[in-house]
Amino acid sequence: MSDSERNRAFWDRESDSYQATHRDHIGRPEPRWGMWQLPESELRVLGDVDGKDVLELGCGAAQWSILLAGLGARPVGVDNSERQLQHAREALAAARLDFPLVHAPAESVPLPGASFDLVFADHGANRFADPRDWVPEAARLLRPGGLLAFSGSTPFEVMCWNQPADHMDAELHVDYFGLHRIEDADGPVQFELPYGEWIRLFRANGFEIEGLREIQPPPGAESTYRSAEETEWARRWPMEQIWIVRKDA
Amino acid sequence: MGAALADGADLDRPQGRMSHVERNRTAWTEFAPEFAEWAPRAWGSDQFEWGVWHVPESELEALPDVAGMDTIELGCGTAYISAWLVRRGARPVGIDITPAQLETARRMQAEFGLDFPLIEASAEEVPLPDASFDLAISEYGASIWADPYRWIPEAARLLRPGGHLVFLVNGPHMILCSPDEELPAGRKLLRPYFGMHRFEWDGTGGIEFHLGYGDWIRLLRENGFAVENLIEIQAPPEGAPHRYAGLPDRDWSRRWPSEEIWVARKRA
Repeated sequence: MSDSERNRAFWDRESDSYQATHRDHIGRPEPRWGMWQLPESELRVLGDVDGKDVLELGCGAAQWSILLAGLGARPVGVDNSERQLQHAREALAAARLDFPLVHAPAESVPLPGASFDLVFADHGANRFADPRDWVPEAARLLRPGGLLAFSGSTPFEVMCWNQPADHMDAELHVDYFGLHRIEDADGPVQFELPYGEWIRLFRANGFEIEGLREIQPPPGAESTYRSAEETEWARRWPMEQIWIVRKDA
Repeated sequence: MGAALADGADLDRPQGRMSHVERNRTAWTEFAPEFAEWAPRAWGSDQFEWGVWHVPESELEALPDVAGMDTIELGCGTAYISAWLVRRGARPVGIDITPAQLETARRMQAEFGLDFPLIEASAEEVPLPDASFDLAISEYGASIWADPYRWIPEAARLLRPGGHLVFLVNGPHMILCSPDEELPAGRKLLRPYFGMHRFEWDGTGGIEFHLGYGDWIRLLRENGFAVENLIEIQAPPEGAPHRYAGLPDRDWSRRWPSEEIWVARKRA
């Protein structure tokens, strides 16, 4: 089974319980990022989306795309899981919205090149598809000058995973060199790269690096994704980051 | 996410405390005799090798073709990089805050018959005109001993549009895992990543500066640089140990980066 098929099966299986667990946390009335739901109005990653063609990679139940549609964007949601898209369709109907939802892995999106002004993901397909495959695909889909922004995990989160103890701690357990594919016994396959490899991958695909926002959750930040102990860890070391890169004009 | 702001205090020097420039000049005056001993080997080499693992530039390709370029080495020490640059057809200038290091550099110039300007100055305040260089380079120089919130803007000022900025630092992995005493990094994260900026290690006397990845990118961008590459150096599998008490050993540096080279370019 390919990583893409394996992750599709994982998300088809987990989708209902994922949406039930996180629905209230991520179903806010304005766009928010990541595990601690920090507002886009503060982070200012995407800029003005009004009138823009926007592609969400790994849209899940399309919470983000629905909010961006309300801000004047023309969104398209892509997800590798049919079950996730079922949740998205229900959410669109409830919001009385209609925009395309595409069932595809992010490394192979059946849409024409140069058709988007913004491609983004919030802990979406970027975590579950190989960056060496999906970053070139994002570059193909973007128009010149278009923005790619995505939040995800960090090398530090991966390195500090204490496998035998099954929790994070303040120690490097995993090698940094060679960081790429992270496999859980019965979970999904995830991907993370060393900082320099991200930079080279972006450059090789015609992106200029605009920023790397390393998220420090504010004191007392709450999350349905992280325990209080993990949030405390994340106040000291980066557990979540947002890459912001722009396709050369 | 506000290391620049968090350090605002350092810009107004507290009364009765030496500035980091004075502290580092004192420290490097002490280190200078040791580096004078090693200078002839570095000056005599045909190859430029980066960092304590001696990884050759021919392998890393961090630098552009330097022939015909005006170059400035920020915190040149004994100026062995500038010696390599002049042999490659560049017109180098070396600056350093420590007279004892510049003395060694001048002695090497005489010994090897190579000549280029050496100036006693801090990379945070360089007495040279704007837009006069094509390459600014620093290896364990200003890159770790000067305040990046001062020397990066200064490098931007000195470079011509399209000019290259290439500098080696230790990188967050090593800094987070290094004990306060001058001992090699272990595997435990001993200090927070957020707010990384100014560091004093017990017993070394000097003051170092190290930033997180996002802060480097922001600082470079704010000063008109495009980030072109970040080369994280992995120690080669074989070779002699390095001679630095505070740097991690080969086994550690095979797994995590003990040195990183940022490559940036001033936008045209």
